[in-house]
Amino acid sequence: MATPVIMPRQGQSVESCIITEWKKKVGDKVSVGDVLFSYETDKSTFEEQAKVDGTLLAVFYNADDDVPVLLNVAVIGNPGESFAEFAPEGAAAAAPAVAEAKAATVAEAAPALQATAARAEGISPRAKNTAEKLGVDPTQASPSGPHGRVIERDVLALAKESRFGGETVVQSEAAAPAATKTSEAPSTVNAVEYDEVKLPNLRRMIAKTMHDSLADMAQLTHNTSFDATKMNAFRESLKTAPESMSLPKITINDIILFAVSRVLTRHESLNAHMVGDKMRYFKHVNLGIAVDTPRGLLVPTLFAAETKSLAQISSESKALAKSAIDGSINPDLLQGGTFTISNLGLYGIESFTPVINPPQVALLGVCSIMERIRTVNGQITAYPAMGLSLTYDHRAVDGAPASRFLKDLVTALEHIDLLLIG
Amino acid sequence: MAKQIFIDPNEVRKPETITFPSIPVNQYQKTVKDEKKNFTKEEFLNIYRDMAYIREFETMLNLIKTTNEYCGVQYNHPGPAHLGIGQEAAYVGAAYELTLDDFTFGSHRSHGEIIAKGLRSIQILDDAKLMEIMETFFGGRTLSVVKDSGKTVKEIAINFLLYGMMCETFARKNGFNQGLGGSMHAFFTPFGIFPNNAIVGGSGSIAPGAALFKLSNKKPGIVVCNIGDGSIACGPVWEGLMISAMDQVRTLWGENGGGMPIIFNINDNFYGMGGQTRGETMGYDMVARIAAGVMPSAMHAERVDGFNPLAVIDAYRRKIPLAKSEGPVLLDLVTYRFSGHSPSDSSTYRTKEEIEAWEAQDSIIAFGKQIVDAKIATQEELDAIWVTIKDNMLRNMKLSIDETVSPRIDIYGAESDYIGNLMFSNQKVRSFDETRKPDVLLPREECPRVQLLSKRARYGFEADGKPVSKNRVYQLRDGIAEPIINKFYEDPTLVAFGEDVRDWGGAFAVYRGMTEAIPYHRLFNTPIAEAGIVGAAIGYAMSGGRVVAELMYCDFLGRAGDEIFNQLCKWQSMSAGMLKMPVVLRMSVGSKYGAQHSQDWSALMTHIPGLKVVFPATPYDAKGLMQSALNGTDPVIFLESQRIYDVAELFHAEGVPEAEYEIPFGEPDVKRAGKDVTILSIGATLYRVTKAADILQEKYGVSAEIIDARSLVPFNYEPVIESIKKTGRIVVTGDACERNSFMRNLASNIAELAFDYLDAPPVVVGAKNWITPAHELEDAFFPQPEWIVDAIHERILPLSGHVCKHNFTELEQIRENKRGI
Repeated sequence: MATPVIMPRQGQSVESCIITEWKKKVGDKVSVGDVLFSYETDKSTFEEQAKVDGTLLAVFYNADDDVPVLLNVAVIGNPGESFAEFAPEGAAAAAPAVAEAKAATVAEAAPALQATAARAEGISPRAKNTAEKLGVDPTQASPSGPHGRVIERDVLALAKESRFGGETVVQSEAAAPAATKTSEAPSTVNAVEYDEVKLPNLRRMIAKTMHDSLADMAQLTHNTSFDATKMNAFRESLKTAPESMSLPKITINDIILFAVSRVLTRHESLNAHMVGDKMRYFKHVNLGIAVDTPRGLLVPTLFAAETKSLAQISSESKALAKSAIDGSINPDLLQGGTFTISNLGLYGIESFTPVINPPQVALLGVCSIMERIRTVNGQITAYPAMGLSLTYDHRAVDGAPASRFLKDLVTALEHIDLLLIG
Repeated sequence: MAKQIFIDPNEVRKPETITFPSIPVNQYQKTVKDEKKNFTKEEFLNIYRDMAYIREFETMLNLIKTTNEYCGVQYNHPGPAHLGIGQEAAYVGAAYELTLDDFTFGSHRSHGEIIAKGLRSIQILDDAKLMEIMETFFGGRTLSVVKDSGKTVKEIAINFLLYGMMCETFARKNGFNQGLGGSMHAFFTPFGIFPNNAIVGGSGSIAPGAALFKLSNKKPGIVVCNIGDGSIACGPVWEGLMISAMDQVRTLWGENGGGMPIIFNINDNFYGMGGQTRGETMGYDMVARIAAGVMPSAMHAERVDGFNPLAVIDAYRRKIPLAKSEGPVLLDLVTYRFSGHSPSDSSTYRTKEEIEAWEAQDSIIAFGKQIVDAKIATQEELDAIWVTIKDNMLRNMKLSIDETVSPRIDIYGAESDYIGNLMFSNQKVRSFDETRKPDVLLPREECPRVQLLSKRARYGFEADGKPVSKNRVYQLRDGIAEPIINKFYEDPTLVAFGEDVRDWGGAFAVYRGMTEAIPYHRLFNTPIAEAGIVGAAIGYAMSGGRVVAELMYCDFLGRAGDEIFNQLCKWQSMSAGMLKMPVVLRMSVGSKYGAQHSQDWSALMTHIPGLKVVFPATPYDAKGLMQSALNGTDPVIFLESQRIYDVAELFHAEGVPEAEYEIPFGEPDVKRAGKDVTILSIGATLYRVTKAADILQEKYGVSAEIIDARSLVPFNYEPVIESIKKTGRIVVTGDACERNSFMRNLASNIAELAFDYLDAPPVVVGAKNWITPAHELEDAFFPQPEWIVDAIHERILPLSGHVCKHNFTELEQIRENKRGI
């Protein structure tokens, strides 16, 4: 008796999951515990293991298909056993009823002339309008239309799965058959010299955002450093703070965030977005904080940072980072930043050229603290110097105002005790 | 085809010789003196006066064209002026015996005909009737300018005629056609003056239709078709002659037939523009000779001295009764134009000596001399006539060029839509003659077709969902036939004609079962003469009747090109709405019969302003659209696909109602609702589209909305845009060759109108830009269900797992266009 494999439900709110990769193909022998396929929700990636021994008889959905939970996605049984009765109805019509062992059909699904595909990349007017309605960025969608055109279904899919899409409930269009795929697992190569891994959606989005950022802006980076003596002393003093004050553990990052939030209020040209031929100068400092997560870079936002105390900034930024890392973050907190801080000091980075998160116009890279020497009253002395790398968009801001911001920031950080008073 | 006429081999195989009746040439040689007893002094002087009016009118135009002034008054007329200086005796002689019941049709050189017929009508009309005509014409607007221009009604009317003609020539709103006809197309139907025609021989195919109207509806009067010697080689003229000469009106129409009341009046001025018809471009020697080849009567043809008005009058006195009893008649008037073809003509093709020789015999001078010699009047009396004429000419010329008195349509301002509003009459006229009972042979309920229809199932499926047998079901051809039958019993003026429409029932059985009920003079076979068929329909409708004409195949419309593209479509608007054109022109779109019998040429007709074009694909739509066409007043091209004459009603669940209903033109119809892609179909592709929609649904889960265009002109885009708001995607399909098809027009407009809703550009799936191959190869030529799926996959919405069989890539589109295919 053949056994169906269902798409598991990962939590009550999950309606469907996207198959990211089939690890087995039709005809393969599988044993209990073998990974059949990997799949992802908008928040996480999972693997489905075989629960019975046998042969994979049928696969009803292809990689990249968005499969409603609890539907049959595959059948395991003995060769020759019937499996058609497990084929899901309705939504399943979107996929070939049965994927034959030969994966040849996959290539045919693409428009006949792949050669022209690279030529016209675009977004259909309808897709643009739908994107606007749903509040998503259509350039982030994975195109499935002819010649790499983003069509409406791509925007709908994006809205459903992307971090930008939020909780928008999108009507499922039965119209949208699965996007075409370019290849399945390279079955002919046994001695694997590389692993070809299809990019997860988040990676694809990061790739596009970063590339667009560099392609579209005139970015350059100014490097400087500040004397961290007082900052270190301040942190030392906190360690001995009375417990009754119940202060959070203040990190260097917290102090930088605090200082930036204060200094930026005097430098509105950097706390801004550049949108087409317009600048938007923000009344609040909404700090984007670059966070390394298992799924890739995420940038949660600390809203109105300039109104918050150091202690508030410290606790809130940590909570944001935690939820970004564990995937529980509210998508609303992944947008709306006006200026971003990326801290690589932990890794001993001495200076770098961070990439701006568009449509912001600047981003501060925070580097490690190094011992530097200088002469004081003719004496060579060492002091802790912390590096700062400010990338800004020269289209929006000139070098002098950017440098003035850095100079003010250095002053503020070198006099953190005084800044805290203000 | 007529069973009554037995073709006896013994008879037709007998040795014989064809003999031709002799055709008199210039036999009349009398002068004023000889005719003194037959005309009063006033009549002689009016003949002289009318010729002089024409001469002065043309002289005025010639001076304006060549010197920008007339009698010291400056004016620039950039438009045409084809003058007939020299031809006055022919014009006046031909008009002299005509009454208001007699209709004249003219050519580009017809100012003289209009003035002659106008002056003659004024002469014979009583004052009350004359005043009524002038007062009711465009609400008395033209009259108001000239109402104080004379002491008598006739004097006022002469000024009305001159002023109306001048305004028409100078594109003024007070012109006889509000300036929309112009010099070459002026006319005035209240005086029996029907359109003059700027296409050489244009009236040759149209005037016979007016004669058919008179014969079929037993109307008094005859029709005069004024054409020139230069038009005799034109095919449509020959076709008009053939339709006029049809034996059946004498052999088969019985008491409803008789003579075709038409005189082909050929003004032989020896030149077709510059081509010399006698001796150079034609071979007939004398135009009258052609009549001998038309019919045994030789059309009672005569060649008459058109330089002598009395000779022409004499001919008409004898020929008008003959036309009524034994028409058609052909008259060949010898004449000569002193003026060039147009003012730009430098007469390089003829000698000064030739012109001078004719001027030496100037008909006006000669006729004046005869009057003086015969002591009818003195030279002073003749001179006084000229003074009056010149006064009237100058006064009316000044009025007609006065921007305040005689403005043009304010097309650049307040009346920007004026011409647009005239393109269609858009009226409902159930019957063009409610005073008469229609001539029929059987009561409606005994009409065999009506009896047949009463037994047919009006919906394509039985209650259990099984399709009704073709033989028992109401088909698309029935949907076309039913309103026509009903209209035969409602509108006595309705006639239907075309090739093989009577006993055969039409090549595709639309008229089957009507022969028994509808008499010959209302349903008849024409010769194979598409230009003649359409031309006759136009003349018939202009005269006040309703026509359903048929071209057996759409492919044959090229044979009626001028009639469809220049005549049928234009006369409502060129007459400023004075004429109606209630013509339904049926045309079937073929398949199976190869390259010259399988073309959907809707693009050609939709391109031409002034035609309504419909293409129903279901019995329900066919009936409703035909009813709209038959209740209306506009020319309607009714396209029918031979592939689907036998389809049953499959979409309208209530079936085809027995009662009358109209489907308004211009409204596309959603035949199947869907949500993912819209497929807009023209004509018979509807049924292939339903198959494509099934494939899309069953194989790819894509739900297609099917819209049947039904009408092409007019067309309401709103339902299509609404559909696209939902689906975001559209394919336009039809059986026409893709390039420059109406599908392309739809796609282009849709792209503009629904741009923001589109997920992909509209895609056209038409037939290949090839010849239509043999039936066995046709599936590679006409759109197939799979093509539509392929096009969607390739250009709109990639379908998972779909393998294209047909190349719809952009590269292929570019490649084919580069190659011109």
